[in-house]
Amino acid sequence: MLKRWLPAMAVLTALLPMSVLAMTGEEVMKKAQAAFLYPGKDFKARVTMKLIAKDGGERVRELVMLRKNFGAPGGEQKYFMVFFKPADVKDMSFMTYKYPAKDDDRWMFIPAVNMVKRIAAQDKRSSFVGSDFTYEDVSGRDIEDDSHAIEREEKVGGRDCYVVKSTPKAGDADFGHKLTWVDKASFLPLREDQFDRKGAAYKLFTADEVAVVKTHPTVIRRTMKNQQTGHRTEAVYANSDYEVGIEDSLFSERFLRQPPRKWLD
Amino acid sequence: MKFSLVEFSIARPKWVLAAAALLTLLFLTQFPKIRTDTNPKHMLPETSDVRVWNDKVDKTFALYEDTIVVGVENPSGVLNVDTLGRIARITDAVLGLEGVASRDVNGFTTITNVTAEDGTLKVGPLMAAAPKTQDEVEALRKALFGNSLFVDRVISKDGKTTAIYVPLERGANGAEIADRIRAIVAKEKGPERYYVAGDPVARDTFGAEMFKLMALFSPIAGMIMFAAIQLMFRNLALSAAMMGVSMVAIIWSIGLLIGAGFPVHIMSSMAPVFLMAIATDSIHIFNEFYFRYREGGDKLAAIRQTMAAVSRPVRFTALATAAGFAVLLFMNIVPVQVFGGLIAFGTVVLRLLSFSFIPAVLTFVNEDKLRKTAGGEDVAADPVARLLGGIGAHGARHPGLVVAIAVAAILVSVWGTSKIHVNNNLVAWFKPGSEIRVADDAINQALGGTSLGYLVIDGKADDFIKRPETMRWLEGLQRELEKLPVVGKTFSVADYVKRINRVLHDDDPKFDVVPDTQDGIGQYLFLFSMSAKPADLNNVVDPAFRQANLWVQMKTWDADAMRQVIAAKDGYQKAHPLPVKAEPAGIAWFNLVWNDEVLGDLVLGFSLALVVVLVILAIDFRSLKWALIAYVPLLLTILMIYGVVGFVGKDFDMPLSVMSTLSLGMAVDFAIHFVSRFRQRRAEVGADGTANGRLASNMETVAESLAWTAARPGKGIMRNALLFAAAFSVMMAAPLTPYMAVGAFIVSMMLISALLTLWLLPALVMLGRRFLIEEK
Repeated sequence: MLKRWLPAMAVLTALLPMSVLAMTGEEVMKKAQAAFLYPGKDFKARVTMKLIAKDGGERVRELVMLRKNFGAPGGEQKYFMVFFKPADVKDMSFMTYKYPAKDDDRWMFIPAVNMVKRIAAQDKRSSFVGSDFTYEDVSGRDIEDDSHAIEREEKVGGRDCYVVKSTPKAGDADFGHKLTWVDKASFLPLREDQFDRKGAAYKLFTADEVAVVKTHPTVIRRTMKNQQTGHRTEAVYANSDYEVGIEDSLFSERFLRQPPRKWLD
Repeated sequence: MKFSLVEFSIARPKWVLAAAALLTLLFLTQFPKIRTDTNPKHMLPETSDVRVWNDKVDKTFALYEDTIVVGVENPSGVLNVDTLGRIARITDAVLGLEGVASRDVNGFTTITNVTAEDGTLKVGPLMAAAPKTQDEVEALRKALFGNSLFVDRVISKDGKTTAIYVPLERGANGAEIADRIRAIVAKEKGPERYYVAGDPVARDTFGAEMFKLMALFSPIAGMIMFAAIQLMFRNLALSAAMMGVSMVAIIWSIGLLIGAGFPVHIMSSMAPVFLMAIATDSIHIFNEFYFRYREGGDKLAAIRQTMAAVSRPVRFTALATAAGFAVLLFMNIVPVQVFGGLIAFGTVVLRLLSFSFIPAVLTFVNEDKLRKTAGGEDVAADPVARLLGGIGAHGARHPGLVVAIAVAAILVSVWGTSKIHVNNNLVAWFKPGSEIRVADDAINQALGGTSLGYLVIDGKADDFIKRPETMRWLEGLQRELEKLPVVGKTFSVADYVKRINRVLHDDDPKFDVVPDTQDGIGQYLFLFSMSAKPADLNNVVDPAFRQANLWVQMKTWDADAMRQVIAAKDGYQKAHPLPVKAEPAGIAWFNLVWNDEVLGDLVLGFSLALVVVLVILAIDFRSLKWALIAYVPLLLTILMIYGVVGFVGKDFDMPLSVMSTLSLGMAVDFAIHFVSRFRQRRAEVGADGTANGRLASNMETVAESLAWTAARPGKGIMRNALLFAAAFSVMMAAPLTPYMAVGAFIVSMMLISALLTLWLLPALVMLGRRFLIEEK
């Protein structure tokens, strides 16, 4: 019985890449999440964001970003950020406890009034530091919030990709659906097309430069462009590094007020 | 050449008619491409300073050109579970509409609120979901009235009215979206009343009405004229010819307009009625033809004689009319230029037809019928002609009295004219009871106002706006502006800074102030930008914090409101010097600029028309003296109308200003006919010694010639004036006030100037006969 089918199956497998048969859209996105947001035990980078208006006007955001995993990919994470630029926000610091399927906890230290304030995180789709990236674009969106389907396969910059269509299950997102081009080899998202709820092109994410850091392929340059306003944000992750030994105790109000020097270079 | 055209038309009438029909069909093929444009911004060219500047401001601060305001009113207060549920449902439905900039819709469910609860700072939608309990309603009430950013913007002081601000994507049709919003609110049952207002609604509704008026009133005006002509000449062929001529001219002109790619604008929508009215100048041809036919009895000879007698005045009246409209080409307001060119072209077409189409039709007129009806055309027997002759004779007999009355009229009119108030208010273009006026009034009364202006503060250095002194200056300016009765609400970046300061300090009202350091302000705003919608901050500061945008909501669309805001700003700047430039922007500023442009155009256009018409008169009469005399009834007519406009207190707006320029070219026709025919008459029956009375049996005194002129060509003038007035009287029944005003203006202008021509002109001629009449 099986033998009769074997030649046909051999032809099929030769024609189609193995992985299509093996993976669903959701699995691709899970792997992408792990590769993009969860590699290593911890991660550190000096992030410079250029917020560029349509007419070329530029603003700069510069910060150190520290991230530590507290579980498997898709699980809990903590982020710690300290700002350098613009000048008047120097020494402001920001901390997020990120939980799967639950609102984040966020705190901010405001040096001018020497105050740590907890910030309600009701909208993960709001802008991160005034850039075109949302909080979710920076730290990830729950896989379960969307339904995912592989639309097709396509090359991006010479690399084979899955094109996954993700549609939010609830109507709370600012986008109606998005297409993600996930690199078959590294599982990094190389491009993401967000469409608004009316189906018009909305935001476009591109991974502009990928480098291997301590065995982890890492997107060290990325752009998010709002195609409706023409505004875009270019982010460079300099000095990216993994396994740097971030202590659990860093993620506290005490260090938010007084971040340890060693993490600030 | 004109005569050969007439001869050709008499010889080959069918050819002429066929050619006219063919050309008309050709122009008709352009009609399906028709577009309308009702955007008042297009009144000024895209390259005009104010539009370039406003576009720049829109870009810098991510502003929308157009916002619809949806007012929700509940006499017992909107803060209850039911009404709030409805508001949430309505807002949600509005967010899904095509053309709505959903991300920046501001209503209870979407507007950003900054609060602190249990030590946690919350920046997010004021009312994410409709409250289900009374406690939640009370919490919302506290949030609303505890935040000065909301009072008068999304909630009225009495709590009975709220608003949803719906910005539109570029190029969206405001009237269509307003209709869909009306359909959405119509689904809700309850005690609430809903108002849909805002500039795009008014403008696009105006556009829709305009189309209706064009389609409805042009034929009605046409029918009225047809009936009037029929009544005057009792010959269907003649009436049809007259209407045919105007239809052909209308189709050619509008076809050319559309074919050339111009959209139909408020002015050009009135073109059909204008062309119809101008076509009535052909009445002089018919008028004279009837008299000549009765005298001679030979149809073709009567046509030739008629064309010879009236060709000169008809040509020059056409020239004057065309020139009067062509003057508009020098205006700054685009639709007015287009309109001027359009009518000038139409007038030339009309005259061309007068010398071809009309003689051709006359050849077809049945002679039996003609004899019957033309029999009535006898100056001596005709009661109308006798009456008109009497008027002319009265003027000629009592020149001193008539001129004294005219001088008195001038004085009174000048007084009235001094009271004229130049103002363009788009919402006031609708009648008081209309839905748009009601909605606009309701929202203006309850909330900050539907008319929006900006003051752009430029500090010329990065982060200048973050300085505490700048913030305090902004705040002070806001308080100063809010003292003006026309200003309902202002807001600026300072309001956000103060709000955050207060919220961070446990909602302590003591901290509802601008903090002392620039770092503090910078950090607050950074904090705000991390949670708010991008537009919240973008709308009030530029990314580099060099510029701030102060929003000023006004309760009226009157151009003067923005003028007051600017004056208050200037005063404040003088009293509180800060090295910033503060410049007005926004639609309210545009309206003010446009308004002043209208005034400037009026002065320019009127002066130009005065000169051009005088030159044409002088050339026609080959005499400056006669030109000046013929000018007087015309000037007095316009002055009298201005006087009435001033006394009545009617806003002097763009349509009226254009009318006054045009009226010169149109009303001068009567004087041209009168003077030309009078001098012709003198050449035929005049004497060497003007004041000496009869020298031969067929000779007349000057006074007699004046009476004859008032009776015979005067009847043509009166017929012309009545037809003109009849056509435009339709516009007085329009639902839009500019059409009404234009209708009233033209009707009164035609009747007054006809009367003055027949009465005042003879008086002036008598007084000045020694200078004017140099008969051999």
